[in-house]
Amino acid sequence: MTPAIAIRGLTKDFALTLRGVKLRAVDNLTLDVPAGQVFGLLGPNGSGKSTTIKIILGLLEPTAGECTVFGLPSRRVGSRLNVGYLPEAPYFYRYLSGLELVRFYGRICGVSGRRLRERAQEVIEWVGLGSAAHRRVGTYSKGMLQRIGLAQALVHDPRLIILDEPTAGVDPVGSAEISELILKLKKQGKTVLITSHLLAQIEDICDRVAILDRGKLILEGAVNDLVGLQNRQSLIVDSLPPAELQALRDWLAARGHALDAVEQPRTRLDQLFLSKVSRRQRGGESA
Amino acid sequence: MRAAHHAVPFSLARLGIVAGNTFLEAVRQKLFGFLLLLAVALVASAQLFREFNFGSSELKFIADFGLGAMVFFGSTLTIAATAQLFFSEIENRTALTLLAKPVWRTEFIFGKFLGVFTVVGVFCALTTGLLVGLLYQRETALMAASPEAFAQGCLIHYGDLVLIGVLQWLKFGVLAAATLLIASFSNTNLYTVVMGFFVLVICHLQYLARDAYAQVASLPLRLLVQVLGYVFPNFQLFNVADQIGVGAALDPLVFVRVAAYALIYIGVFCGLAVYSFSRREI
Amino acid sequence: MKSNLANLRPLWTGLTVVAALAATGVLLRPFEQPAWVWVQARQPALRLDSIKGALGQGVTVGLLGGFRAIVADFFWLKTNSVWEDSDLPATQTFIKLVTAIDPRPLYFWQNGARMIAYDMPHWRIAAGGGYEAVPPAEQRRIDREQAEVALRYLHEAFVHHPDSPWIHIEIANIYINRLKDYGAGAEAYRNAALLPGAPFFPARIHAEMLRRLGRNAEAYAWLKSVYPTLPKEVNASKKITQFHVDSAMAPVFLERIRELEQELNIPKGDSFIP
Repeated sequence: MTPAIAIRGLTKDFALTLRGVKLRAVDNLTLDVPAGQVFGLLGPNGSGKSTTIKIILGLLEPTAGECTVFGLPSRRVGSRLNVGYLPEAPYFYRYLSGLELVRFYGRICGVSGRRLRERAQEVIEWVGLGSAAHRRVGTYSKGMLQRIGLAQALVHDPRLIILDEPTAGVDPVGSAEISELILKLKKQGKTVLITSHLLAQIEDICDRVAILDRGKLILEGAVNDLVGLQNRQSLIVDSLPPAELQALRDWLAARGHALDAVEQPRTRLDQLFLSKVSRRQRGGESA
Repeated sequence: MRAAHHAVPFSLARLGIVAGNTFLEAVRQKLFGFLLLLAVALVASAQLFREFNFGSSELKFIADFGLGAMVFFGSTLTIAATAQLFFSEIENRTALTLLAKPVWRTEFIFGKFLGVFTVVGVFCALTTGLLVGLLYQRETALMAASPEAFAQGCLIHYGDLVLIGVLQWLKFGVLAAATLLIASFSNTNLYTVVMGFFVLVICHLQYLARDAYAQVASLPLRLLVQVLGYVFPNFQLFNVADQIGVGAALDPLVFVRVAAYALIYIGVFCGLAVYSFSRREI
Repeated sequence: MKSNLANLRPLWTGLTVVAALAATGVLLRPFEQPAWVWVQARQPALRLDSIKGALGQGVTVGLLGGFRAIVADFFWLKTNSVWEDSDLPATQTFIKLVTAIDPRPLYFWQNGARMIAYDMPHWRIAAGGGYEAVPPAEQRRIDREQAEVALRYLHEAFVHHPDSPWIHIEIANIYINRLKDYGAGAEAYRNAALLPGAPFFPARIHAEMLRRLGRNAEAYAWLKSVYPTLPKEVNASKKITQFHVDSAMAPVFLERIRELEQELNIPKGDSFIP
């Protein structure tokens, strides 16, 4: 099966001065993004994530190497037909309403007529902006901008969706909603490429990740393989008095196992936040 | 392989969508607001000329000032709107989203041009219409007051005035395309606007270089002057407005020639803008 | 090697753009030339040296940039404002400046000459203490001087308007009204009448001046030669309107002819048959 994205020996230099001082943003990168998976492209700021994405989208020309999208060279305009893209910190035509914006991008991608009307309405409902569809984009909050950005990326029903830092600057409720949407996309069989420097958020939704540092690939693989400790397991039980805990240790020791750590499990702060903040109430913001 | 089915040919429809959105931006960002100001200024100055009792020459004054205002404000609008409508895409990074779609850069540049050209076209149509209306109203009144000054019939060639409006529009088109070429490689809106005005002035004075190069003594300077005369289009060619419309008539053949000249330059400037923009890293 | 070339790319792009534009200019020049000749023929050369001193640099660039008509209009408005103040040197300067900037509108020449010939003598006499204080001989001298300035000014107009009857008419009026020189006035009216597109009244006034000079035979011959050319009825195919018929005043011409026949004692049998 053709990978959604295939990158071979990709290098990108930016000229800093006319004399030839260069910045190597991507350094001999080779990577496959398999179709139908959620793929995380991780790395600190300046590691080459955004440059790689721009090359995939044909916005930049590589200095060396090649990149194909569903088998089509990324330079070719046609390669973008199957791609939806949400840029980092998106900023759209302020003078259009959400619905007009989505329709505009739909028309650009060749969707027209009744199909465009239905599809635009559908994706806007899908990202939860139904009640704000007729408001000017200029009045949208950051989270709403991300969601309308997602809607415009999906309007032409692409097979590959590229999300550049989709949760940057969005509050935990917003990020959680975006994570949910990404998982829904995966269920629909879409390939999702997502970049982030917030690793914890990505961990929950990605099938595979690649980590870039200074333009080089330093790690790549399935999330479970990378972060799951293969020879370890954790058991979570209700509170044990010290005597029973000791009994358990003895029981394990008799069978050749060891209890390595006893700690107080914690809920994650973002989950605590989400459980306390009413989503329904926040939904009113978009109304 | 599905890839073979994914060729995306250049599409006029997509170009039109970009142009339509550019025009819509101009309208919604109230770029036309100052048209109202211009209209008020025109009508007010027409009233002023009545005070002087110029007789039938009042029409010449109205026409001169009207066309002058059209050229001045039109040039300003063209440069400012082109730079603004281009850089709003770059600076707000909406170009990023747009060009990540199956859109040719050619479609983007020509779409931007067409959007601006439509904006300027609306401006020219409204200004010409206003001027024609103003002149017609005054000519009718003056005719009734002193018929002897109108022995040869109407002094104003209204048809020619419309043609002049069209020529100005085409000239603004060349200016917009040239500004777009500057924008395609420049980094800021301000630089584009300044360079745009610079080009406007050179294009207006280009004829001096081509007429005077033979008199320049030193060879390198003479070559430079001659090259200047060839590199920039001749905007004086569009200056048929002087004396036309009031009194003298416009030769239709000259009109066609000048219009074709403008259209060719629009094509060349936009083509070069595409060439330069296709190398731009967004 | 490739990356070195890549560094030079902005330079290459720039050079390509300039080269393409220059090539366009060269290729388009033959196509553009006929239109440019037409446009230039309608734009008399700017004699900047004669006016540069009076203008700021910005105005000069505006002029060169093709805003001649509007700059001339602007200075004409200025002429009017100094004229209202009876400021003779300023008015004279601005009148000449306006036609130096844009000599094409007849209006500037006609009205400039009128200001010089008809208004300025009053200003000079007023400056000398008024009509009571300035002796009649001196008044006539001033009139003559101003008329001559105006006539010289109008003769400059012929460079730009060789075929305009209106300049001749203006000259004739100055000879007659200011210099009481009916001979020169008659001649100027004749010159006007002979030009294509001339109105009809100069022909009539030419004869009137000849009569006043006692040259009745000449006047009679002139009127007889002109009469057949006058429009007498509306004719759409020849573009003769009611206005033409009215302004030609053919009956008045005929009346003058009959008067002259009496004065010259032309026998009935030899009288003019229209």
